[in-house]
Amino acid sequence: MMNPMVQPPCQNACPIHQDARGYLAAIATGDFNRAAQIVLETNPLPFICATICSHPCEEKCRRGQPDKPLSIRAVKRVAMEQGTPAPVPAPTPSHSEKVAVIGSGPAGLTAGHDLARLGYRVTIFEREAMPGGAMAHFVPIYRLPREMVAKDIEAIQALGVDIRTKKALGRDMTLAQLKRRGFKAVLLSLGLPLSRKLRIPGEEGEGVLLALPFLRAVNLEGYRLPPGKRVIVIGGGNVAIDAARTALRAGAKTVLMVCLESAQEIPASPWEIAEAREEGIEISCSWGPKQIVRHDGKVAVMECMAVKSVFDEKGRFNPSFHEDRCTQMEGDIIILAIGQAADIAELPELGIPLDERGRLGFDPQTMATGKQGVFACGEVILGPGSAVRAMASGRRAALAVDAYLRSEKFTFQEPSALGTLAPEVVEDIKRIERQPVPLLEAAQRVTSFEEVDLGYDPQVGAREARRCLNCGNGAELLEEKCIACLTCVRVCPYGVPVVRAAGKVDIRVDQCQACGICVSECPAGAISFRMPGVLDIPQRIGAAMASGKRELVFFCAYDTISLQGADTSGMIPVPCLGKIDVRHLLRAVELGAERVVLVGCADPDCPYQRTLRWAQCRVDTANRLLQAAGLGEGRVKLLQLAPQEFARLPELLSASAKEAR
Amino acid sequence: MIKARQKPMKDIARMVAPFSRILVLGCNTCTGICLAGGEKEVAILASTLRMQKKELGEFVVKRQCEKEFVEEARDLIQSHDVVLSLACGVGMNFVSEMFPEKPVLPGNDTMFLGLPKELGVFAERCVACGDCIIHLTGGLCPIARCAKHLFNGPCGGSSQGRCEISPDVPCIWQLIYERLARLGQLASLEELIPVRDWKSNDALGPRSFVREDLQVKET
Repeated sequence: MMNPMVQPPCQNACPIHQDARGYLAAIATGDFNRAAQIVLETNPLPFICATICSHPCEEKCRRGQPDKPLSIRAVKRVAMEQGTPAPVPAPTPSHSEKVAVIGSGPAGLTAGHDLARLGYRVTIFEREAMPGGAMAHFVPIYRLPREMVAKDIEAIQALGVDIRTKKALGRDMTLAQLKRRGFKAVLLSLGLPLSRKLRIPGEEGEGVLLALPFLRAVNLEGYRLPPGKRVIVIGGGNVAIDAARTALRAGAKTVLMVCLESAQEIPASPWEIAEAREEGIEISCSWGPKQIVRHDGKVAVMECMAVKSVFDEKGRFNPSFHEDRCTQMEGDIIILAIGQAADIAELPELGIPLDERGRLGFDPQTMATGKQGVFACGEVILGPGSAVRAMASGRRAALAVDAYLRSEKFTFQEPSALGTLAPEVVEDIKRIERQPVPLLEAAQRVTSFEEVDLGYDPQVGAREARRCLNCGNGAELLEEKCIACLTCVRVCPYGVPVVRAAGKVDIRVDQCQACGICVSECPAGAISFRMPGVLDIPQRIGAAMASGKRELVFFCAYDTISLQGADTSGMIPVPCLGKIDVRHLLRAVELGAERVVLVGCADPDCPYQRTLRWAQCRVDTANRLLQAAGLGEGRVKLLQLAPQEFARLPELLSASAKEAR
Repeated sequence: MIKARQKPMKDIARMVAPFSRILVLGCNTCTGICLAGGEKEVAILASTLRMQKKELGEFVVKRQCEKEFVEEARDLIQSHDVVLSLACGVGMNFVSEMFPEKPVLPGNDTMFLGLPKELGVFAERCVACGDCIIHLTGGLCPIARCAKHLFNGPCGGSSQGRCEISPDVPCIWQLIYERLARLGQLASLEELIPVRDWKSNDALGPRSFVREDLQVKET
């Protein structure tokens, strides 16, 4: 068996290691409930992540080798919108210790969720009136409708996590008071709620706004800009993009983004940049702010210097400029989105030490601060980044707190990832286009705060999920049963099984595309299969035939979505008909089936191109055997349908049965 | 399985005489199992030849009759003047086909399809005739085991259950009779096995067959 710590690249790239492959497979086979269930198993903020996750999984998706990565985030959204996971009962607190989490952003919520599931009684203290941290206050509504935040927070509260708003550490309570109230550990997930300033001439005064207060005012208080203003946003990160796009929606006449970084270095996500440009936002790269020129006290010009380099030779942020090459950009309002800071100046008064540079000191291994029983997680210790990265930090901190309360040593091991696909395998993989995520038209976007991302419809989401290569989820050689016949080597359409030294056969688990042809053809039964729904086919045949039916139908599970709810009770879904072999067909007849039908689709975008031909071969073989044994002719049939015909499956089956009679 | 035995050393020495760089290529399946082509036999033969001032290479593949396995020995085969094969005749043929420029010498004589009766004692049981009839003969093959390949009972040379060619050879028809008696199937002896159509054997030249059920049609 492969080491369970070796994950598919998507799962490994996800900071909270969600089983993306698992939910993609569930969606591809039309099982949205199961997909949602899989998401919930590891993700405490499923709706938020389905909407705004920066999806590092996609960057590592091996589908990117032959064509483009899976659109994993958007598919997850289909799972959350369409699926109803089985309800999970709230955990009964099994530990007497209470834990206080300070801050209810993604890190704090994740830690609270995980600690509750571990059996602790958790209270999250939030200094604002609304829980959710940056996701409630700063992330624009057109990206994250607040009902998504509300759904996730409600689910965490349903686990028994007590969220108290308008309660700030220091202002409303001290560590000593928390201790007296029975909290045995405190976890700081304070985030980075402050916007940094530039410290250049002309910065102070009317017309210069800080990104975070601006975003908060627009999101929460309905703040709008005075009409007709030209806005200049300073910064190149995702918050700068948020500020720019929000400014446009809040009434700006024009929006210009100015950043230090070159077009190649700009840190904002490429899709955010693309969407901003579509909305008419101009981005001017490689300029550094020099001064803000005011006329009659009003902002008039942003003077910038050309950037020589942003990073020094050690790769550290350390910009240098051509001070003699300046440009003047005219504008009425300047929004500074150049960075965020923690609000921790008062922590030493509570006995929590800061380091020599004024940062919250912590041990990256144990997540502990310099104060006994006080831990930290999220952006306050990591610096700015994605929500999912903060969540991972919260998850780790929850485990650290648990270990501390159990007086155990805390160790944390990151799993490793499958490597890349071998070039010869990539060559044989069917190219299938990535489904674009539909967006609101740009012209319509800028006039309101309506959500930009319209999401896939379920059909398209399932189609996109079908592009998943099922990395590491296919065939696995059982060496003790292998007779080295080389059949797998000869039938694999992808060249995955290879012959190693001394004639040892190696089915490269990390390269397998999970089509299943080898499992069916192996003469020694020496190939196991990891993907669910394959090894249990004989049992499912037995169960289906137990009711004494006359006709047994197998259909490709990847066509489930095309069935559009057509009645398939008693039929057996199989993840690609390539996994049905002659033994299965004969077994059905042996158990009393008059007729066995395999229903597969003639979909040009099916990743498995040869499987139906194998299915036909096996059908022919079964018929030949049955006929030769005097058990009738044509009892096994392969029915090949176009995807749009699946909705009429029951009707087509009875027509086919009539024809057979 | 296929049974083979090494050729006499003097024959081998004569064959390899013109060559200086010799690869002794073993096979770990049939001839390995019948103690004629595994790592040990390869080493013994190589050692003997080395003492005759030859430059020797030694290698054993999983099977000499399959391309994927012979591939492992490709570089070695190419860097030697000749391959002295300790496979069966099938493997020797295959290596010759795979390396058209390379001479291949038989280190073994391929004997028959048989079994080990005891350690180092092998006996034929099947001639691969291509049309098995042992359901009529108590599961024992008269083609492989009767000196005259008789189908319908023993010849006059059967005496005291022994074949006339040697007192060490049992008359297979005697054994067939005894076994049918034990199985209560003596009546089957009254049925004549008709004259055999030997097309399924080698009457039509080198044999081959195709498993149609494994021919995946390209569309």
